[in-house]
Amino acid sequence: MRKQFIIFVLAAAAVVGQTKPYVTPRMPDGHPNLQGTYDLATLTPLERPAGASAVLTKEQAVRLEKAAADRSAEGDKAIKGDRPAPPKGGDGSTGAAGNVGGYNTGWLDPGSSYTVVDGQKRSSIVIDPPDGRVPAIKPEARRRALALIARPTSDTQETNDPALEPAGAYDDPERRPLGERCLLGFASTSGPPALPTYFYNNLHQIVQTKDSVMILTEMVHDARIVRMNAQHLPKTIRKWLGDSVGRWEGDTLVVDTTNFTDKTRFRGSTENLHVVERFTRVDAKTLLYRFTIEDPDTWEKPWTGEYAWPATDSHIYEYACHEANYALTGILRGARLREEEAKK
Amino acid sequence: MTRTILAILLGCLPLAAHHAFGGEFDANRPVLLRGKVVKVEWVNPHAWIHVEITKSNGAKEVWMVEGGSPNSLLRKGVTKASLPEGTEVVVDGYQSRDHTVLRANGRNVTFTDGRKLFLGSSGPGEPPKDAVPTDQAKPPSR
Repeated sequence: MRKQFIIFVLAAAAVVGQTKPYVTPRMPDGHPNLQGTYDLATLTPLERPAGASAVLTKEQAVRLEKAAADRSAEGDKAIKGDRPAPPKGGDGSTGAAGNVGGYNTGWLDPGSSYTVVDGQKRSSIVIDPPDGRVPAIKPEARRRALALIARPTSDTQETNDPALEPAGAYDDPERRPLGERCLLGFASTSGPPALPTYFYNNLHQIVQTKDSVMILTEMVHDARIVRMNAQHLPKTIRKWLGDSVGRWEGDTLVVDTTNFTDKTRFRGSTENLHVVERFTRVDAKTLLYRFTIEDPDTWEKPWTGEYAWPATDSHIYEYACHEANYALTGILRGARLREEEAKK
Repeated sequence: MTRTILAILLGCLPLAAHHAFGGEFDANRPVLLRGKVVKVEWVNPHAWIHVEITKSNGAKEVWMVEGGSPNSLLRKGVTKASLPEGTEVVVDGYQSRDHTVLRANGRNVTFTDGRKLFLGSSGPGEPPKDAVPTDQAKPPSR
């Protein structure tokens, strides 16, 4: 009787399990259809904060997400219409706001929840090493980075106050961060690896054919073309986004990227950076994005991160960054004026 | 313990931006601008709101106020019609380091009643229906 019952339960479970099987939509060539627009905004940071566990409990996630929502709501609150000007000497704001403040939260869209992978809320994008931290770069890479300290990299967050930036950082336009120069989005949003901006414009679109896959990044408007089942370009040909070739491993799209320029230098890497990305459709509204970073000149061994790319009904809008980049001239002009003042 | 971890996680949330505000604007030149919108440049990487103010001597000045990327606003339903010319606004921020140009960051951009622009579910960016029109403008405080 007991055995019959167990069989019944197992059979019932199997039936229940089959009631809503997810059927991966496919392209005419039989491969999964990964097309769509995805909003990568998330509260999950790249690296896990010290002391946090890899997976947030439900209670922790609820409290953290509420805290983020409260912070946003606080920023949205009305203030006095008859307020005075802010204090002379600066408002004390730090980071990108650089003692003069940024702009109102109404402009921002930084994400409101922690990424969910395998049903778990994750506290970091990095999953290997298991501590969720990007490994320390080698001493030689550190020396290399110090020699290039005034040459910002593709993942630069641009949070520097002028007083904190290295000498020479404002000496010419080419020493300004790639995002500020409208070349690539800040914080490695275009990638590879494609990371959240934690600020706004986190949308990416995938368009897929048998022979190529395009990944469009909204921020600064980069389109990366992945050539399927192709060989990498000769090493002499270098590209801002690297040279991406793709292949299918089962239902996972694997994109292999090399041939970077020596200007992107993701987290201190060299132009020999090698990024392998894996895109897997896990349900009707989600892709799982996983990436592995390798550069023997920079890290002892490869490291890996992953996070969910939720589909969105929102539209990507054009981001013609050079249309009105008055800020760059203002920043450089400001530096010249500071130099003049310093001479007095 | 949980509270500590929460604090750690909250503390690490990064604030990124397109550029260094402190390099562009002068912390020693705070401004308060009260006036009306005469033009909005809905452009990237930053939108610019042009505000005409009337100084104490009656002279008019048009200031350019820097905002964020318009793309995120578009997704929230903000349109070009959301901030019509003539809308009375109050801006507090800091003038550009180059004092020969009338530019400031939009540290806070509000309607005259203090509500921030581009927020709220009932017509984002629309001026309040009970707002009292005013032509008064104050010169930037120096």
